[in-house]
Amino acid sequence: MSGAERIRAGLEAAGVTLAASVPDTWIGRLMTTVRQSATIRAVDVAREEEAVAVACGANLAGGRGAVLIQNAGLLNCGGILAGLVELYRIPCFFIVSLRGDVRDPVYYHAPKGRVTSATLEAWRLPHAMADRAGDLAEQVRRGVEFAAESRGPFVLLISGEDLA
Amino acid sequence: MTGRKPFLDALVAALAAQDVVVSCLGANARWLPHMNVTVPVFALCDSMSAAVPLALGIALSRPERHVIALEGDGSLLMSPNVLATAAAARPANLTIVLWVNGHYESSGGQALPAVTVDWPALARASGITHVETADEPAALAPALDRARLTDVPAVLILPIAFDPAEQIPPYSERPEEIRARFSLKT
Repeated sequence: MSGAERIRAGLEAAGVTLAASVPDTWIGRLMTTVRQSATIRAVDVAREEEAVAVACGANLAGGRGAVLIQNAGLLNCGGILAGLVELYRIPCFFIVSLRGDVRDPVYYHAPKGRVTSATLEAWRLPHAMADRAGDLAEQVRRGVEFAAESRGPFVLLISGEDLA
Repeated sequence: MTGRKPFLDALVAALAAQDVVVSCLGANARWLPHMNVTVPVFALCDSMSAAVPLALGIALSRPERHVIALEGDGSLLMSPNVLATAAAARPANLTIVLWVNGHYESSGGQALPAVTVDWPALARASGITHVETADEPAALAPALDRARLTDVPAVLILPIAFDPAEQIPPYSERPEEIRARFSLKT
């Protein structure tokens, strides 16, 4: 089973019903796998803030929403995290491609890589780095459950290597 | 041109049992708790542009409900992409009611950027095929009925008069109260 399939299995095991996404190269590959799910509705949006609101809507409606975006998109989401997710205490699970760290071969992502960790800390977003050597599906499931139980955000950072 | 409250009164009177209302921040969100609304309401007090995608997530998750998103022109102008997203997702149970008064009412009545936006054209150009304009409150209920019967998301545009003297109640519910009360179980 590929890493992408293990991540999808984790989303399914956690009862995720809707995945809202803006793709990058890595998230696009992941979404190709997510779209094959019989239980997860894939929703393509134009901006990452929309993905957050769509996923929150799914949660308010009794389902479980997830947001799949790049770290550039997460950097766009400060306002809606504060004004919707945190203010109304709505569970919101993120899978975020961590572009620009040492594993990323594309040079122009580097500035985003330099600020992602500091931004997660500054925004006080609970987060973890996916560990492909471990049980990826379980890491996803735990992240979804953390968001549900804390009624707030949780961010799981992934690398392109995690999808192989 | 008619002011907001008669349109809001008409909307509330036209709500049906299966409806769900999501309101953007501002006057409508502040008025609704003071009105006799019997359907679930999720009112935002922040997060401009979130009402439509929030409503979209609810609509896709609960096809037996009809979700009505109340959006302002300033809020939509911030992220008009939400129209294309809704059009692409094609929920038949989503109606976007756009309140057009040319002002950021929530922040003190500042004017929107000085340009005349063709809202019906914007909606259609974004892929919304069911677009109507209700110029008077009496036109709202039949337009909402038609929106319910379509198999695509709908946009209803309400041109309303901006009244800087309108006595809008303050926010009377805390976000945690709104969140706790919002339930679609029935």
